[in-house]
Amino acid sequence: MPNTNGDTIPLRQFGRHKDRISALGFGGHHLGDAPDEPSAVRLVRQAVDGGITFFDNCWEYHRGKTEAWMGAGLKGVRDRVFLMTKVCTHGRDKALALRMLDESLHRLRTDHLDLWQIHGVCFENDPALFIRKDGAAEALEQAKKQGKVRFVGFTGHKDPSIHLKMLATGFPFDSVQMPLNVFDSNFHSFEQQVLPELNRRGIAALGMKPICGHGAPVQKGVLTGEEALRYAMSLPVTTTITGIDKPEALQQALKAAQGFEPMQPPAMQSLRDRCRQYAADGRFELYKLSLQFDNPEARLAHGFPLDMQQVEVREMLKMTDNSGHPFPPTK
Amino acid sequence: MLGTAGLAAQGQSGAQIPRRPLGRTGLEVSALGIGGYHLGSANSDAEATQIVNEALDAGVNFFDNAWEYHQGLSEERLGRALRGKRDGAVVMSKVCTHGRDKNVAMRQLEESLTRLQTDHLDVWQIHEVIYENDPDLIFAPNGAAEALLAARQQGKVRFLGFTGHKDPSIHLKMLSHNFPFDAVQMPLNCLDATFRSFETNVLPEVNRRGMAALGMKSLGGSGELVREGAVVVTMGLRYAMSLPVAVTISGIDSVSVLHQNLEVARGFQPLSAAEMQIVRDACRLDASDGHLELFKTTKKYDGDLGREMHGFPSSAELPV
Repeated sequence: MPNTNGDTIPLRQFGRHKDRISALGFGGHHLGDAPDEPSAVRLVRQAVDGGITFFDNCWEYHRGKTEAWMGAGLKGVRDRVFLMTKVCTHGRDKALALRMLDESLHRLRTDHLDLWQIHGVCFENDPALFIRKDGAAEALEQAKKQGKVRFVGFTGHKDPSIHLKMLATGFPFDSVQMPLNVFDSNFHSFEQQVLPELNRRGIAALGMKPICGHGAPVQKGVLTGEEALRYAMSLPVTTTITGIDKPEALQQALKAAQGFEPMQPPAMQSLRDRCRQYAADGRFELYKLSLQFDNPEARLAHGFPLDMQQVEVREMLKMTDNSGHPFPPTK
Repeated sequence: MLGTAGLAAQGQSGAQIPRRPLGRTGLEVSALGIGGYHLGSANSDAEATQIVNEALDAGVNFFDNAWEYHQGLSEERLGRALRGKRDGAVVMSKVCTHGRDKNVAMRQLEESLTRLQTDHLDVWQIHEVIYENDPDLIFAPNGAAEALLAARQQGKVRFLGFTGHKDPSIHLKMLSHNFPFDAVQMPLNCLDATFRSFETNVLPEVNRRGMAALGMKSLGGSGELVREGAVVVTMGLRYAMSLPVAVTISGIDSVSVLHQNLEVARGFQPLSAAEMQIVRDACRLDASDGHLELFKTTKKYDGDLGREMHGFPSSAELPV
């Protein structure tokens, strides 16, 4: 399905840099929900052919499976895309971060990342742990110097104040990723509190969770998937990362993105108003209020309880050489 | 972990449990109160009765409860245990509208009174104000705030309050309505002091308004602070009881836990300001990401009824 309507996906400038990336990005976590590797490889290929150039991933997604599958899918077309993955130190040190980087590069079958981000900055003390001596900040600098990564950033889905604390460390981030959707605009809002600051600083803003992670408000009939995606893409962001696990999801994403024209401000306001009552208690933004979207490495590193339903936890416990200890195994 | 030596001097056996004014109500309450949820967790009705009776004998007179605890079992157990002793107790229960209207509240009040075998509550509080739109829903026309006033008018309850464990900003939103609350309940412990702090943000305001501050979750809700080595039981409890509160409500599910906590409460002397600062500093690292105050940072302590009313997944589907 290279092109559904003859139009291309708009490219937007990556923050203060010259690179241009597609207004829609391919979310890596959902790729692990594809039935098998050949299906995942096909999805990645079709996305590239459809004009998606931004690919998101993370060291800890599905215990490495999504990086491996994406690497297989990008074989031969690596140079046509802007590849991002994330490091999962969650407060732990530089050496661990650099080990994870080498694993990510190996799984993704590449010698460099276009963007390397700190994953899941979700806890109030994460900024302090990031910037400390021998913390992950030093790993970002070193990896850049070594040419293993071109740009660096961070991501998190919990609270705008934690993002602002990260920015206040003064570290020269190239990008920042955050949840941006119509519900966010009225509840603990990244759109209100973080997005303008990024644009002021020339940092590339990467939106995620345009339909709230797993599409709960769409399933409940509050709005359509297309409305949700269009709203998020109409914000002043470089790209909107959406999870793609099957051909139908790719189809919907390409349909929204090819020939994309932003919603006008009155239409955005009317959608915000329509969704306001559901935004008020955060029911569709569980990532802000619960541990549900906090991955096991983050929970382990911070001493929060694990969720036995989470795919990474189940896979972690299945592996005989890792019984749920933080990475690297402590024993 | 802070040790029991030095700072954590024990209460004196045989000495009285101090009484403090319950805000401006004219009532006096014991510095230690019995939490209602854990009465429902006790192994048997008999043990729950023994907890209540021994507490009364030791001079504890404040008893917490809520309409939704253990589907009514907690209220029933307290009602049975207080039979013939009701007058010596300050009985509080909570209404669980979770955004629903006055009629729901009044029906729940009747059920609470029946289970508690009494014709009036001393304090009736709105339970679990933890969602950001709860204040709006409570103060909407025909909302729970109107039920509180009506119940007081009818003589079914003497004093009014609210409770919640999530975020100081939600408590402050409740207070901003200038409703005549007599009591406000909140989590207060030595980790709270430096993380999304009720102690810093809410407690001074409650005292300024002359309301009674009711502390809870002195050890994290289920002893997390102790289990994870942040503080020992006696020090955790002493810290909470040393704050400017009327009562520290403690969840007690066995006679042995009661004995342990009574030891701290008898002849209780508050920690000095300097000692409290030492405790806060010692706990600062453990406090800094909220992993021991799960009631603030996760869904773990959020009840199923409230989740249902707010369109959240149940505790079975989303434990934390």
